Amino acid sequence: MNHSQLKEIIKKKASKIEFAIVTNLENGLSEIYEPGKSLSKEFETHKEQIDNFFKLKKNGVIENTEIFIETYIRPIRVIIVGAVHIAQYLVDFAKSLNFEISIIDPRGYFASEQRFPDMKIINKWPDEAFKEIETNENSALIALTHDPKIDDPALQHAINKKFYYIGALGSKKTHENRCQRLKEAGFNSDQINSIHGPIGIKLGGRSAPEIALSIIAQLVSETYKK
Amino acid sequence: MKNSFDEKILEEANDWLNANQKVVLATVIQTWGSSPRQVGSRMIVNETGDFSGSVSGGCVESAVVRECIGLIKDNKPCKKIEFKVSNESAWEVGLACGGEIAVYLEQIN
Repeated sequence: MNHSQLKEIIKKKASKIEFAIVTNLENGLSEIYEPGKSLSKEFETHKEQIDNFFKLKKNGVIENTEIFIETYIRPIRVIIVGAVHIAQYLVDFAKSLNFEISIIDPRGYFASEQRFPDMKIINKWPDEAFKEIETNENSALIALTHDPKIDDPALQHAINKKFYYIGALGSKKTHENRCQRLKEAGFNSDQINSIHGPIGIKLGGRSAPEIALSIIAQLVSETYKK
Repeated sequence: MKNSFDEKILEEANDWLNANQKVVLATVIQTWGSSPRQVGSRMIVNETGDFSGSVSGGCVESAVVRECIGLIKDNKPCKKIEFKVSNESAWEVGLACGGEIAVYLEQIN
């Protein structure tokens, strides 16, 4: 790899473009691969295998060759509903993990820039906010407001879009009430049971960072079950 | 098995290069058995032996640093090294977990 390639890689990472680095281990030549784009003669003969690694989001050496592939794929989108104290710690933890966080909170006094520097907060109700965010079964939702007016529409969106992780903050009693409301809204028990509530692994902690840690631990664990 | 957009090791390599340091990039390219870090894990080393990132849980980093300095001294573009438990130097730099890893070193120029 040369310095100009390194700079190009950094640029692609910053703009969240998916790509792979292909390296010939014998002579050290590398190239940046993007799906749909052609490769130089050096690597063109291995295009099929390179495509395959990319699809499987895998890193490794192509069998019986000296070609190494490293894929860079977009981080998992995690939507937090509620710009509350716990969310501030979740943002901190997520920095060192492969998660891209969006925060939704219609309450302006929570969603202030001063509380979340360098973080874009969508200051709208969930139904409106989700029009701005692309979501699918690779997305995760963390609902933190325990206000049904705000959490429920977000939970319904997540269930409908089959998010791989849905968690909602609140006591057992709060969660029972929430499940009842979702049942009345027409969701079946499988859908309702896909919500992790009360949210987080059993850590025993009580402070905001401890709760954030238990949530992020559960999220990582579910990410690896995917 | 995917690389994080958030991992900043390549950005750090760029900073070092901009500061006129020589940089070798070490990447885990293959693993066998149980190994502490997955394929694609990276570490950078400069000519004075400063390093950042990791290719194992601390088991083989010292040897990787030595190899990287050697690469810069000999002005070689790249090299592949393997670490096995059965290595003669296992007592010094082997992987305690019983795994094997191959690490690729390349000079960024």
